[in-house]
Amino acid sequence: MKHLKPLNQKADRVVKAVETDQMDEVRAMQTVVAGCTSTLDPGWEVDPFGGVASLCQPMEADLYGCSDPCWWPAQVPDTINSYPDWNADEASAPKDWRSLGTVFPSDNET
Amino acid sequence: MRRLIATLAGLTLGLSVVPALAKDYLVTVTKPNKLYVVDASARKVDKECTLDFNLIPGVIAMSPDGTIAYILANRWGDVFGIDLESCETVFSAHQSSGDVRRKTVASLAISKDGKEIYTIRNPVKLLADRYEIMEPEFAVYDATAGLNAEPVKTFPAPRRMTVMATGDNGMVYAAGHEIYQIDPKSGAFTVKIPNKSWDRPTYSGPDVLAFWPIGSQADEFLLLYSAAKFTDASQQELADFVWGYESVDLSTGASEIEDFASFEVIMFSAARNPQNKDELFGVYTQLSKHDVATKELIKRVDLPHTYYVVNVSSDGKEVYVAGTNSDIGVYDSETLERIGEINLPSGGDMAAATLQVIQRGS
Repeated sequence: MKHLKPLNQKADRVVKAVETDQMDEVRAMQTVVAGCTSTLDPGWEVDPFGGVASLCQPMEADLYGCSDPCWWPAQVPDTINSYPDWNADEASAPKDWRSLGTVFPSDNET
Repeated sequence: MRRLIATLAGLTLGLSVVPALAKDYLVTVTKPNKLYVVDASARKVDKECTLDFNLIPGVIAMSPDGTIAYILANRWGDVFGIDLESCETVFSAHQSSGDVRRKTVASLAISKDGKEIYTIRNPVKLLADRYEIMEPEFAVYDATAGLNAEPVKTFPAPRRMTVMATGDNGMVYAAGHEIYQIDPKSGAFTVKIPNKSWDRPTYSGPDVLAFWPIGSQADEFLLLYSAAKFTDASQQELADFVWGYESVDLSTGASEIEDFASFEVIMFSAARNPQNKDELFGVYTQLSKHDVATKELIKRVDLPHTYYVVNVSSDGKEVYVAGTNSDIGVYDSETLERIGEINLPSGGDMAAATLQVIQRGS
């Protein structure tokens, strides 16, 4: 590992696991699969085959199916709790996407 | 243990008996606040109900007689029962109370006698400086309780539970780490189909997307899984990446789990033909027809856009694809030719809503 430098926290922990002989506990992602946020899937960036052809077509078809279940809250506002009215006036993602805004935490949330 | 193969011939008995004059109707919801009942063969909206609650996520479970659509709504929090004739709300359960917020992640089912409504609730206590995660609970509601119903019973439940269905034997089947069987009388959870704990040394763990409770046409609780398959138990060399299905027959309680295809395209949901349970239809950006007995892909066609949810007509001749946008696509189950389309008038997205098929006298 001496030629490799960890670039994020997980990689850093893998390096520590090598040093402490705990690599058996390390579980690499076996595939890039469609999954939920907790698995830290790349979401809209890449499909299970490592490309983009198998992402939802077009992405607007997928937009509310992702915000309703809070599937990728980093990419789409959390309409369950934090921003419930983000798309209240835009019933159709394919037609209304231009009206969807970006969200930011308010001062009392930071 | 892990391959409890039911006799397929036996599974289809009784399902082909549809009243002579009964017609299929499709039930779904669209943003911002519409519930639709669609005459499937006429390709026309039969009923539009305007609802006074937020439809997110729009998971729908039907009463056994097809007269009431129970909708998980208000951002995963509440359950509403809508009479499809009058559009009136005949049942509601507001699950959060006080400083305890309760969300239900698609876990909604109705008993086969229509008397009880089941949810799995995930409570969180909202404290001044933190959230305290509480134990999930299986909740039993009396369907005749009307508005603002409270559970008549609750039992501890495992975490990470999603869709559910009920069997003729009174049991509830639910997807979580495992496919569980729940006895709503005692609250006992038992593993019906090992999923996370499956005994398959040459497989990775399964990945299951369990969000659309749509198996009622074939009278089953069916989920797809995908998994990596290795050449041996050392799991060093990949042999294939496979699709499989796990199913509980809601009449007999028999269960099965079996691979049926290589993982070539994504499928978000699948349903089997009630007239021929060898035929499985899976949907996403393609509509695929598989023969699960021979493990052959019969046909696959590209769709105009991605759809999340699929269902099959009672006579097995038509396949409906829905979810995402505001159109329902109708396909010939034999040829997978697009033979019809129903554009829901609101123009709003179905998003992740369920598409149910019910039968009514004409």
